[in-house]
Amino acid sequence: MLRLAFPLVSHLPRTKPAAVRPRPPLARRYASSASTSASSFSPPPSPLLPPPLPPASAYVHLPFCRKRCHYCDFPIVALGSSSAPSPGGGEAAEDPRIVDYVQLLLREVSATRPVSDDGVPLETVFFGGGTPSLVPPRLVATILDALRARFGLSACPEVSIEMDPGTFDAARLRELVGVGVNRVSLGVQAFQEDLLRACGRAHGVKEVHEAVGIVTACEGLQNWSMDLISSLPNQTQEMWEESLRCTVDARPTHVSVYDLQIEQGTKFGQMYSPGVFPLPSDTESANFYKIASKRLSEAGYNHYEISSYCKPGYECKHNLTYWQNRPFYAFGLGSASYINGIRYSRPRRTKEYAEWVQKLEDGTWCHESRSSDMKDMALDVVMLSLRTAWGLDLQSFSKSFGKSLALSLCNTFKPFVESGLVIAMDMDRRALPHIDFELDLQNEDDFGSRVAFIRLSDPDGFLLSNELISLAFGIISP
Amino acid sequence: MAGAAVLRRSARRIYRHLAAAPAFSRSVLQQPKRLLSSQSSPEHGARGAVSGSELALYPPERVRNFSIIAHVDHGKSTLADRLLELTGTIQKGHGQPQYLDKLQVERERGITVKAQTATMFYRHVSASQDSDTPKYLLNLIDTPGHVDFSYEVSRSLAACQGALLVVDAAQGVQAQTIANFYLAFESNLSIIPVINKIDQPTADPDNVKDQLKRLFDIDPSEALLTSAKTGQGLEQVLPAVIERIPSPPGKCDAPVRMLLLDSYYDEYKGVICHVAIVDGALRKGDKIASAATGRAYEVLDVGIMHPELKPTGVLYTGQVGYVISGMRSTKEARIGDTLHQAKSTVEPLPGFKPAKHMVFSGLYPADGSDFEALSHAIEKLTCNDASVSITKETSNALGMGFRCGFLGLLHMDVFHQRLEQEYGAQVISTIPTVPYIFEYGDGSKVQVENPAALASNPGKRVAACWEPTVIATIIIPSEYVGPVIMLCSERRGEQLEYTFIDAQRALLKYQLPLKEIIVDFYNELKGITSGYATFDYEDSEYQQSDLVKMDILLNGQPVDAMATIVHNQKAQRVGKELVEKLKKFIERQMFEITIQAAIGSKVIARETLSAMRKNVLAKCYGGDITRKKKLLEKQKEGKKRMKRVGSVDIPQEAFHELLKVSNSK
Repeated sequence: MLRLAFPLVSHLPRTKPAAVRPRPPLARRYASSASTSASSFSPPPSPLLPPPLPPASAYVHLPFCRKRCHYCDFPIVALGSSSAPSPGGGEAAEDPRIVDYVQLLLREVSATRPVSDDGVPLETVFFGGGTPSLVPPRLVATILDALRARFGLSACPEVSIEMDPGTFDAARLRELVGVGVNRVSLGVQAFQEDLLRACGRAHGVKEVHEAVGIVTACEGLQNWSMDLISSLPNQTQEMWEESLRCTVDARPTHVSVYDLQIEQGTKFGQMYSPGVFPLPSDTESANFYKIASKRLSEAGYNHYEISSYCKPGYECKHNLTYWQNRPFYAFGLGSASYINGIRYSRPRRTKEYAEWVQKLEDGTWCHESRSSDMKDMALDVVMLSLRTAWGLDLQSFSKSFGKSLALSLCNTFKPFVESGLVIAMDMDRRALPHIDFELDLQNEDDFGSRVAFIRLSDPDGFLLSNELISLAFGIISP
Repeated sequence: MAGAAVLRRSARRIYRHLAAAPAFSRSVLQQPKRLLSSQSSPEHGARGAVSGSELALYPPERVRNFSIIAHVDHGKSTLADRLLELTGTIQKGHGQPQYLDKLQVERERGITVKAQTATMFYRHVSASQDSDTPKYLLNLIDTPGHVDFSYEVSRSLAACQGALLVVDAAQGVQAQTIANFYLAFESNLSIIPVINKIDQPTADPDNVKDQLKRLFDIDPSEALLTSAKTGQGLEQVLPAVIERIPSPPGKCDAPVRMLLLDSYYDEYKGVICHVAIVDGALRKGDKIASAATGRAYEVLDVGIMHPELKPTGVLYTGQVGYVISGMRSTKEARIGDTLHQAKSTVEPLPGFKPAKHMVFSGLYPADGSDFEALSHAIEKLTCNDASVSITKETSNALGMGFRCGFLGLLHMDVFHQRLEQEYGAQVISTIPTVPYIFEYGDGSKVQVENPAALASNPGKRVAACWEPTVIATIIIPSEYVGPVIMLCSERRGEQLEYTFIDAQRALLKYQLPLKEIIVDFYNELKGITSGYATFDYEDSEYQQSDLVKMDILLNGQPVDAMATIVHNQKAQRVGKELVEKLKKFIERQMFEITIQAAIGSKVIARETLSAMRKNVLAKCYGGDITRKKKLLEKQKEGKKRMKRVGSVDIPQEAFHELLKVSNSK
């Protein structure tokens, strides 16, 4: 079935024009609100490049939070409310826990060997958390410096940071931008006081508006994302519409809409079961998803991934790395890297993580996790690419994993192409009528003469992505 | 015994299964070991070899063959243990309690499924002859108690001349006491009533004596009062056996003739038959033949169960023991068959009947790929239970499997349990059904053992249908009479008798269609009587009924494994309940699913399961896709375990759940 020796990284369009294009000019920021064009995925595909082996992305985990939100099961370190940063964040206010952690993280960075010596610089850096905005900009700068020294940074990398309302002021943001941050992901989650409180968020609606004001007024920062959560306890459709309206009014370049997941071991996990009051029913929460898709599309955002929307050209390049199955470094507590075909998740506890860094420095650590085989690779490609509006490129999939597997996948999706959950597209990304699609599947020789891509439809196919992808899993790994 | 309490125990059994999965493998692993060790284990009262010349000291007048019969939990097994200890056959405190119940399923449920025999030697101090204390050879024949095995019971009882009728001093006569009494009575056995558990604070032996008098015309003075637990009164039991039970009547000088009581398959020795020598003597090296099959065998080994296999080289008239004769399968050893001296013509012993299968169900591997494993397990189990009929069948929903015929409900249940416990098989069983007879306008008749095999639209008129019935005996405290009568009439029962056995307790007799009681009747009965009802039944004749085949359709596709035959008047109700249940257990899928119950082409119940709304994981956090991938892998595995009809995935639980509906209100 898997015929070709497969390069360890993706065959998917790795470099999208957007990823190497300079920052869109300011004038373009709101220019495309009318462009709810044919393809929701604005940049055209570039031809396949030779497999780029070294990672061009780095994820940096900054785990500190004031307190744990009720839905969160991340590796975080709760600092407590006393440690709200003093605006401006002078040395005196630096929490020793943060300083020590960053020290450890820097040790990890310098103990990590670059994959190649010929210096492929980092194109994206993502500071995720936790609440990275709690980390003093000076320390963020030291991390960026370390990354630059170790791996190199491209001329205009995308450097994102997650920030929570109430944890920064204009000066602090300016400082961050000054050290190289150029994209902010603002964790707003909701625009209703009650909902924020119910989630255990450390901020209120007032802080949300302040934060939006600071971000939009910040010079040198054009690219920012608003993060929202739908299906919160007691959330009504009116509230959700209101949040979406406020979001559109704030004019971020990017919106992430996460459907609440109830995770075991979280406070919500103890309090609620999915689909049961006060959580919205499946029907309601599916409806929330559809409303978001509708409202944001109307406002000129492309729904380019299951939970991501952007103004044309403003995809999160860092996240595209994940969805295109390209390699990436990762640093810090609990973070997951993908290097040389191997996925590795670091220890989730500070103590174990520190021990692990020590071993890494001593050269005594070698990971047990085996390198993924072809089957795993195919699963990853399908799982990740079907999350995107771009979808699965059948030609390159066939090339890597065999035409017959690609054909089986298409056959599995046949009824869903007919019912509209899956969209088959030709080379020019025009949707194919299901009759044409079926004709293409008649025999292996003809297969691919018309159909070039399959994707999940927006919103219905996206809403059932787990079902559809697990069907595909059943074909790849019976 | 059993029917009632057996079913009561099945709930307990389920918990046990859930809680103690290891018990399972233990039983599988240790079963052969126990068989091995049992052959010469010193703690089981090994008295050294018993020689043939020793057995010659026991002519029929020094032999007593008896059985113990009781309602479940009235103390039959404990009493048997005590008698074995009292005679030194087993040592007190050694070996496991319920010595004669060897199967795990018997021990867990407190029932007997296979007949067992044990030979005891007992020196009897007779009241009349104080000088002479002759030794007697006593054979305890432990019989299955449940109606499913009533044929086996009747054969075991045919080898006895008497029976101990054990009744709990507090609970009094229960449904199976009555059934067992009549079986023994019809076999012309001398009955010794034993009122047991008199040490209980609530014991009321006088009331029990009254019941015995009223129901069975047993003289109250005949009853022995015992407590097998404390040992009180036990000393009277064996003297009563010797004094009140006649010796076996056989002819010592006639050619050998014996009754086959039951058989076992032993991996090392082959088929071991338990036999009662009716006439003549049986020696190692003799040539014997089966009256049922005509096949001849050479006696390779013969001996007594004391309590395990003890070769003696000979068995004399009236004695009970085992024979190993090179039979290759227990199918050759038919219970109730007569074995006799080869090349002589003898009158076969009366009462031999081939197994009659009353309950049928399809057995399928829970995991479709495991057909071979299930096939192997069934083959091995039927080596030890020849009374199950097995034919291969194929279902569109469940794949390849077997249609199995059982003697009755308990038999089916025990078979399932043994498959799981002793062979580790995971099965899906279809709704149990009974052998219906359909007669068509053109005069043709079919016996229907699998509803799916009956044409939904036969193209010819159904002239008549018949279904098997049972006569059920129910004993309940009188305040529950109302609800029980209601239940029985819901189940299409016809009242035959309504009497009081004492001031508090009523006895009801009903004729009920077998189908109406095979699924959940007993649970329901227990439910409405706070657990007080006892219940037993015996087969009765076929009755004509207005029966129809009901199909279950998913998106228009019939699911053969869910087809069932129901009474026309109940079809609507049962159909509605089935589709509602299915709606609950079938998960939403990416398209709408219609669930229908139909008779022929007429839909009588319908539910719609709307399409799934969402199943999406919003976020791949920080590039960590492994968790999400695991989740999707799990989801994929879940789909793999489903059974599929057309495009609809059906979870296995749906099949299990359907078993619980088919009849209830």
